Amino acid sequence: MAYVPSDGSQDMLAAFKIVVAGGFGAGKTTLVGAVSEVRPLRTEEALTSASIGLDDLSGVGNKTTTTVAMDFGRITLSSKLVLYLFGTPGQERFWFMWDELSYGALGAVVLADTRRLDDCFPSVDYFENCGLPFVVAINCFDDSPQYDPEDVRVALDLDPRIPVMLVDARQVSSVKEVLITLVEYVLASRPVPLHERAAMPPTPTLAAQPTAPQSVTPQAVTPQAAGTVLLPSHAIATPLAGHPVPAAAPDRAAAPGPFGDHPDPDEPSEPAGTGLRLIPYPPAAEEEATQSRSHRWNQRPLRDPGETPQPAR
Amino acid sequence: MPGDKWLDQNAGPVVRPYALTGGRTAPTAGTVLDLIAIVSATDPHERIGDVIDLSPEDRRILGLCRRPATVTDVAAGTELPLGVVRVLLADLIARGRIAVIPQRSAGEQPSTDLLKEVLHGLRAL
Repeated sequence: MAYVPSDGSQDMLAAFKIVVAGGFGAGKTTLVGAVSEVRPLRTEEALTSASIGLDDLSGVGNKTTTTVAMDFGRITLSSKLVLYLFGTPGQERFWFMWDELSYGALGAVVLADTRRLDDCFPSVDYFENCGLPFVVAINCFDDSPQYDPEDVRVALDLDPRIPVMLVDARQVSSVKEVLITLVEYVLASRPVPLHERAAMPPTPTLAAQPTAPQSVTPQAVTPQAAGTVLLPSHAIATPLAGHPVPAAAPDRAAAPGPFGDHPDPDEPSEPAGTGLRLIPYPPAAEEEATQSRSHRWNQRPLRDPGETPQPAR
Repeated sequence: MPGDKWLDQNAGPVVRPYALTGGRTAPTAGTVLDLIAIVSATDPHERIGDVIDLSPEDRRILGLCRRPATVTDVAAGTELPLGVVRVLLADLIARGRIAVIPQRSAGEQPSTDLLKEVLHGLRAL
């Protein structure tokens, strides 16, 4: 019925998944549906008075249904590669699903709605915490104020390496660009194997990156102090469900130089080629750092154009 | 059926989902299958209609698994909740009718070469 076997005669050999997250009403279902070759698997439930108080509809307009279970979409890339997109449930009461969806995922797309930017904070915090590479896609609603992606990056307090881009979730080509950017970013985040490093010219890319203000709380930037533990990098990248690893974002070690030199003095150094990474322990400082995004947002000075993309009305 | 006019899509299932699993919300034995674990019927050419000890849901699952399919695909194809499908699949695996096709384990990151293939596939869309 909804499942139509692909006409290729060869067996499916590898399946990948990408998580699509974002606030309630940010357009996750639309994005998944735009590129999927199957009808999205979802349970839409009418928004009724039972949702009032639970689901904040201000700014979402005339949305009358919401995704109760989950969206999934499928893209057959080749006879043996299939990509699945899973939309996270938008509402807080379904957040228990996130660990399962993120486990083993290739990466994540965080959909941001500039009308309600703070809605995507939990998603950004979540993927930063579990170390899943993600890109931020700003969904261009017709009535949403247009912002420069760099402004949104500042407002979200993102690592300068994390791609931030505009997307029209209804358009296949636009969504495709986002997915390509994500996979490219995942590839670029990988530590370069030793045998390839020798052939590579020194990479000045990181030094050339714009250094966006990265306000980390003072507690968070003491990784070498006191206790540090060595964890295999894959343990950080894919925490077990129910066991979130409060690791520092491992992507920050993206494309290290030939000898593992790291331009960011705040970052713990990674032993080159060992696949091991230093993360600060105990994680209490990190917990505080992750709380701070929503906290800072709530404490922000209102109508400060340099800090927050408030609608200029 | 004469009563059909009283039951439409909105009526929901006549049998509550977890009644199909005997009330179990987790597989009796074995590990919980990942969302994108690939399963396949051990005998794709078997005439399912000839087997008597299969429930209608089992038959639908086996029909979908004639070709390798992910757990998500099976859940979508049968229109059953994911938790139910996992339990039913685990039962069929225990009975030797379904096999899990090994690939990289769910927590393991794919190789760089595979990622490049994904990238290539996306660009070619």
